[in-house]
Amino acid sequence: MPMAITSTTIPMRRAKKRDWSWLAGYALIALPVLIMVALIFYPAVLALIDTLFVPDATTGVTALSLSNYQAFFKDRILVANLLFTFQVTLTAVALLFVIGYPLALYLRFSKSRLASVVQVLTLFPLFVPGVILAFALIQFLGSHGMLDSLLHAFGFTGFRTPYLQPQGVIIALVWESIPFTVLVLTAGLRQVEDAVVESARDVGANSWQIFMRILLPLSLRSAVIVFCLNVIGIFGAFTIPYLLGPAQPMMMGVSMQQTFNNYQDRVGALTQAVITFLFCAVVGLLYVRTVTRGRKERA
Amino acid sequence: MSTLELVGLTKHFSGAKQSAETVAVNDINLSVGDGEFLCILGPSGCGKSTTLRMIGGFEEPTSGDVLIDGASVVDMPPNRRPTAMVFQKYTLWPHMRVYDNIAFGLRLRHQDKAQIDKEVRDSLALVGLTGYDRRYPAQLSGGEQQRVALARALVLQPKMLLLDEPFSNLDALLRVRLREELYAIQRRIKITAIFVTHDQEEALSLADRIAVMNAGQLEQLDKPSQIYAYPRTLFVADFIGVMNIFPVQRQGDLLHIGQYALKAPEGLNGESGLSVAVRPEDFTFSATDGAWQGVIDQTIDLGHYRKVLVIVPGLFGDETAALAHRVKVYMPKSVQARAGDRIALTPSRYLVYSDTAVTRTSSATRTSSATPNAQPIEVRNQAVSGEDDR
Repeated sequence: MPMAITSTTIPMRRAKKRDWSWLAGYALIALPVLIMVALIFYPAVLALIDTLFVPDATTGVTALSLSNYQAFFKDRILVANLLFTFQVTLTAVALLFVIGYPLALYLRFSKSRLASVVQVLTLFPLFVPGVILAFALIQFLGSHGMLDSLLHAFGFTGFRTPYLQPQGVIIALVWESIPFTVLVLTAGLRQVEDAVVESARDVGANSWQIFMRILLPLSLRSAVIVFCLNVIGIFGAFTIPYLLGPAQPMMMGVSMQQTFNNYQDRVGALTQAVITFLFCAVVGLLYVRTVTRGRKERA
Repeated sequence: MSTLELVGLTKHFSGAKQSAETVAVNDINLSVGDGEFLCILGPSGCGKSTTLRMIGGFEEPTSGDVLIDGASVVDMPPNRRPTAMVFQKYTLWPHMRVYDNIAFGLRLRHQDKAQIDKEVRDSLALVGLTGYDRRYPAQLSGGEQQRVALARALVLQPKMLLLDEPFSNLDALLRVRLREELYAIQRRIKITAIFVTHDQEEALSLADRIAVMNAGQLEQLDKPSQIYAYPRTLFVADFIGVMNIFPVQRQGDLLHIGQYALKAPEGLNGESGLSVAVRPEDFTFSATDGAWQGVIDQTIDLGHYRKVLVIVPGLFGDETAALAHRVKVYMPKSVQARAGDRIALTPSRYLVYSDTAVTRTSSATRTSSATPNAQPIEVRNQAVSGEDDR
């Protein structure tokens, strides 16, 4: 039959050139990878080695041992610090979702002019350094602070300041993380087309059903990203818990600093750092999986 | 029984500035009968989608009313209206399987499981997708997705089906096939349907009646054959099918186009702002007195007939204008025609428009009842016979 078809199937011979373009990608990430290895992985490995190889008290010979970790988990104060850190982190992240989703939904769907004002206000904490925030909150929420005086003026007494309480840390950490939370959630919600929402409304779904059955599942990836990065950020927070938090229990960041500076216990601080790092690494893994799965689905 | 009535339906959108208000839909009045298929046709930005979205409840009218079965629905949100909408694209919920997409609305109505199962399978069968229930939207082609969207709308047994350019993202062949399927389904279940499109072929082949919209106004509401034969305004004449439109000067009972003249119809009022519109198939080719003398510039073979573009210098006075406004003519293939051939054209049927029937910019300047020739006047040229089958 058709000659033309058979003739086009003959492969064209082309001068093969070596393709070096794959190198460009590696060259681009080389510097960040080097910095990461030098500043994060290398010290992390050193810390791990330092905490796992313990010199024998009598002979002085170092050997592989979990004794540093056993010591950590036997110390009631340190375990309380770890649990406290979990508690603060989970409460703050839960609050961030409770505050962040309504704001993100408003910014995604509102057509009013007020939305741009809300957007600016939401992003405002991004431009306030943590130290400034901490002192502002002390001024505002501290005992005999502005809020206390204001309440007094209206006859309310018995205000108990959250300063130096877990609540104070949580308020400040939530305030600090709202911009990021709302930005990422809004971006996720913006990927849901209007017609997707309208067709759900059309078949009879009310606003709550649309949120639970359509918007939440479709913005789940953003929610996981928000969860992971907030957990990692808050779990390892230092400035705010240091300035606003209670003396006991304290968050891991403060605990490490104290162990290192006040007790001069370098290995003890390292052990706490490794435990913090391991927990964050697990959450980080969840983040990486979510992001790479998203890439694959889009490809 | 499901009828639709739009009463003075108007929508203004506020612009960036307070003063900048655009009128998207201006005073639309129409009624749609039970089981009727109405197409709203118009160019993009004419307000047709906005009109449909006001029927579905996705836009709030600035004024006017929407009545379904005689009851106003204008205060109801979309989830409480007895309408179901098929959107242009991205309509399926990507995280749900086909089955769950269709069952979603039924589950919201707390129907029992067996009933839901039966209805989902029935509606999948109706759109020819039996066996597709386990798939995700991403595993379907564009045409299949729109069929699922149709099934999802129909499964709720709405009183009225609203379709917003549902096939415009599909390729031409698939578009035609889905159009035919939709037509068959609509006839079978006898649902009242409102279909928005910018594709006149789609409208002409689907609709019982077509509402032609332009710049927020309803230009004409009629059967497809009437719209083609008697376009009420110059806009409709130009928009539907192919039309030659010539501005004319009136002198007594003659309408002058360049050096040629046509008879002015009886009852034609007004001297200026008149236009004559001639369909390409409404020409005869005998060299009678007063026939337009031209030269064939291009012939295009369109299968069962031939489209011929003719340069008629006498119509415009100069060659360049004639080249820019070539006369479009359909010829039977039995007539010999090649580029360069001389040809004589006589319009056997034409419509005369006065510009009051044409340039309607807002309702304030629309005084159609008071001005002459609100309707075009049809002329069948008596000098030429044999074309009177219309």
